Amino acid sequence: MGQRIWPDGSRVNVFVLPDDNPEHKAFCKRVLGMFAHQLRQIWDRKVFSGTGQAPNVVTSPEEMIERVGHTPGAIGYVQPYYLNKPNKPVRPVIIR
Amino acid sequence: MATVSQLACADWKETLQYHGFLTQGFVLTSDNRFYGTSEKGSFDLTEIGFNASLRPLSRLGISAQVLYRRAGEMDDTEVRLDYGLLDYTVVSLDNLRFGVLLGRYKNPLGLYNETRDVAFTRPSIFLPQSIYFDRTRNLALAFDGGLLYGNYTSAFGDVSLRLGAGQPTVNSTELERLVTGINGPGELDDQTSYIGQLLYELGGGRLRLAASGAALNVKYQPGLQDRFGSGQLRFQPVIFSAQYNGEDFSLTSEYAIRPSRLSNFGVFPDTQFTGESYYFQATYRLTDDWEAIARYDVFYADREDKHGNDYEARTHQPGFTRYAKDWTLGLRWDMTSSLMLRAEYHRVHGTGWLAVSENPNPRQLQPDWDLFALLISLRF
Repeated sequence: MGQRIWPDGSRVNVFVLPDDNPEHKAFCKRVLGMFAHQLRQIWDRKVFSGTGQAPNVVTSPEEMIERVGHTPGAIGYVQPYYLNKPNKPVRPVIIR
Repeated sequence: MATVSQLACADWKETLQYHGFLTQGFVLTSDNRFYGTSEKGSFDLTEIGFNASLRPLSRLGISAQVLYRRAGEMDDTEVRLDYGLLDYTVVSLDNLRFGVLLGRYKNPLGLYNETRDVAFTRPSIFLPQSIYFDRTRNLALAFDGGLLYGNYTSAFGDVSLRLGAGQPTVNSTELERLVTGINGPGELDDQTSYIGQLLYELGGGRLRLAASGAALNVKYQPGLQDRFGSGQLRFQPVIFSAQYNGEDFSLTSEYAIRPSRLSNFGVFPDTQFTGESYYFQATYRLTDDWEAIARYDVFYADREDKHGNDYEARTHQPGFTRYAKDWTLGLRWDMTSSLMLRAEYHRVHGTGWLAVSENPNPRQLQPDWDLFALLISLRF
């Protein structure tokens, strides 16, 4: 959280699903250990005080894979079954 | 195949983001004025902001926000640069980050000051006035200068420290009236001031504890044939903040102590007094879209004379202008993720945080009064 630069010096580009998306809520709770409305508060405070940028919002897991795969330094999340098709442009990190 | 420089170029242009908000409120009071002629119902509460940001380098961010604000007689109605800053990350390790902000930045004072004009980030239509006065907001709002920040992340929580110095952006006559009692020929002139905040967060903000402090220095420059001398105002608020954020339930409390010193004004002897404020606040998410809030907020202008008895004996002005106790109940409805409606009711005893510019005659003030407000806010 809050990290802006990867260890190789490139920019971190974060992708998320919309606030009310069930997968987004589940990701916030299980992986980040917070609630979706808290994440929104945190980034609103950054965006409206000029000390940070908002994550890129994508509308579907398919778009998530597409955008993360074609943006340098990108990171996002999807359920594992979206990654079953071959030749996906992303490198998965499995979180249990 | 694209070259590296083309990639880098296309990359930074894609980092441009813009956001904004439009807020309109309605304020109705039983007596006394707050945000315009509120005893008749006032729409003098408008906040419109627009910001843009860019990350031309992975270590460098640039951002600026302009703000248009109407607040009755409490502030000049105009478009201002709310912030405009360069944010440079000096050190970025796995668990440690250091950086610097240069330009005009919002002061990290308490939990709400930095985004106090963004309705979506406030817990209620009006922030607890005991600590976040709307009448003299500009004094502690933002600095023109620099701020160093550091964040340390660990399994036991995140610690961040921010230390800044700069010039306050004072331009309200309300502060001058509070100090000199009139809007006289002289002017208030900002001097180098300081801000700091230590913040501890556990569980991504589930628990937040903060201590913030500022030393704000303002000089009074006498005008022609001014009866006041070149006085000095020192204001040193310290705020302790605690917040617990559960899934549906949030509890927040802040306590502030505010030593003030006025010297060399000539007409009145040098004076020192210490204000004291605190509030307790609970919010409850009834559903994903509805939230209720209850708060009790207490303000004392002088902790040695909490109910203004000495003040009344000395000045023959009502003592209830030196304190305020405010019970607030409110509802928030997020119609969509970008459109919000709010309603709230305040029962207030005392008029301590009302603006002199809106209530010039203290004898016309009522000590027990009600406030009702509605607000609609849109963001993008």
